[in-house]
Amino acid sequence: MSGYIAFVKKEFTENMKNYRFLILFAVFLIFGIMSAFLAKFTPEILSALAADMEMTSEPVALDAWKQFYKNISGVGFSAFIILFGSCLSNEYSKGTLVLMVTKGLSRKAVILAKYTVAVALMTISYWISYAATYGYTALLWNDTSLAHVVFAAVSLWIVGFLYLSILMIGCVIFKQTFTSILFTGGIVALISLLGMIEPIAKFSPFILTSKNVDLISGKVIPAEFVIPAFVSFILSIFGLLIAIRLFNKKQL
Amino acid sequence: MNVLTIQNLSKSFGKQRIIDNLNLSVPEGSVFGFIGKNGAGKTTTMKMVLGLLQPDNGEIHVCNEPVGFGQTRTNQYIGYLPDVPEFYNYMTPIQYLKLCGEVIALSKAEISKRSEELLSLVGLYDVTKQIGGFSRGMKQRLGIAQALLTQPKLLICDEPTSALDPVGRKEILDILYKISGTTTVLFSTHILSDVERICNHAAFLNEGKIAVTGTLAEIKALHGHESLLLEFSADKDLQLFKKQKSAEPLLIYSEENNRELILHSRNMENVQKTLLRILAETGICPIKIELMEPSLESLFLEVVK
Repeated sequence: MSGYIAFVKKEFTENMKNYRFLILFAVFLIFGIMSAFLAKFTPEILSALAADMEMTSEPVALDAWKQFYKNISGVGFSAFIILFGSCLSNEYSKGTLVLMVTKGLSRKAVILAKYTVAVALMTISYWISYAATYGYTALLWNDTSLAHVVFAAVSLWIVGFLYLSILMIGCVIFKQTFTSILFTGGIVALISLLGMIEPIAKFSPFILTSKNVDLISGKVIPAEFVIPAFVSFILSIFGLLIAIRLFNKKQL
Repeated sequence: MNVLTIQNLSKSFGKQRIIDNLNLSVPEGSVFGFIGKNGAGKTTTMKMVLGLLQPDNGEIHVCNEPVGFGQTRTNQYIGYLPDVPEFYNYMTPIQYLKLCGEVIALSKAEISKRSEELLSLVGLYDVTKQIGGFSRGMKQRLGIAQALLTQPKLLICDEPTSALDPVGRKEILDILYKISGTTTVLFSTHILSDVERICNHAAFLNEGKIAVTGTLAEIKALHGHESLLLEFSADKDLQLFKKQKSAEPLLIYSEENNRELILHSRNMENVQKTLLRILAETGICPIKIELMEPSLESLFLEVVK
């Protein structure tokens, strides 16, 4: 336990010192702010650029959330995975972990500490981004008809845990950053593909990333999200256990 | 008591058998030189002792507890210094030792006390710059400090001096010598003068096996031949000596160099008796008679032949 806490502290410091957290925080914050503004002003920008283009509809608050979910589930999480893809490969290639492990730091603690810090930083970045979108959307539209705004955000956040858990497996298996990222991307793509197959679509965590906007607009009900959220949660824990198991057998 | 025992250890990489039925014991309190060529398997053996590599066969015990791969329980007795130790570059030495101390669950007071002692021991006490800017010698010294933080029973150093300049080497050897009173030191090397300087036990690793092991004196006595140097004041004395009938058996294994004659033999006592008799009979007075200590180098070359 003391090893875990010490390593969590070290990971926090490291993510501050190498600007990883700063970059992610900035990316997520910019996306949060941009979501509302882009939704609001895209029609005006477009009409300014092409005067003869007719805008068919006025932008609404829902458009801001569409931007938010598109950006965060796509670029935001990708940035996260790309930046954290090197969290173990750096230590492998430099050999810094050897000294820690030979001092009695358990391998489980290494994985759990890295995961804890990644999840914590993801959570902070994500909810800052959410707060920015929420604030500016309220400011620009003052629309109160939207339902389950928080619940929709929680469901995408839960998927973040799953992505990071998959990333940990990738990082444990592969010694190169690039292959770990590729592995994570591959598994995420696989999950979305499986999510399209009818009999299992209802249970797939894919719903949590694809139907958030439908939830806000009222096209789907929160109950449909409960099982996928549960599945995502279970898979995250399962993924972590696999990562720890594989790491125990890894030659450092 | 032995701090470390290795029994029938084997390890292959692919088809190449690096360690082949290796047996070794390191007695408590010794400074143990683990000698072998580059690629002989020294690092591989050490990594197996640390549970970082899985052996194909065999058993390793540290302080009578078995070592398991991937497990770190026996590592509480061991301090490890890899050949090129790497640290987190953004930390200062004191921050790094603090992290290590927290990992092994030392109290705050204990961490600062031990860090202070160890950093003074390795001469890094006043250094406040980040480890990223350290020279190799400094990293090596910090490596020793972190390895000793756990107050290990056994300190394992993997070629601690091979990449250092003469000053750095001397510093490391001095530190190892200083701590040898409290900790058993096992260090691998191919620099034999280092072994002769600080070790009292040694083992030669060759083709995956221990070719020779024992105390330094035992090894020197067991293996290799002894030599005797004779220096004459004039060449005619040397020629006269060589002409003696009873000197013939002594000259079978000998070297001649100006007015010097070096006699090699596995039975030095007989050589000395014969020699003194000849000298007494002929009245030749050499200016120097010296019994030469067998060097580790000649032993090493003999072993790896």
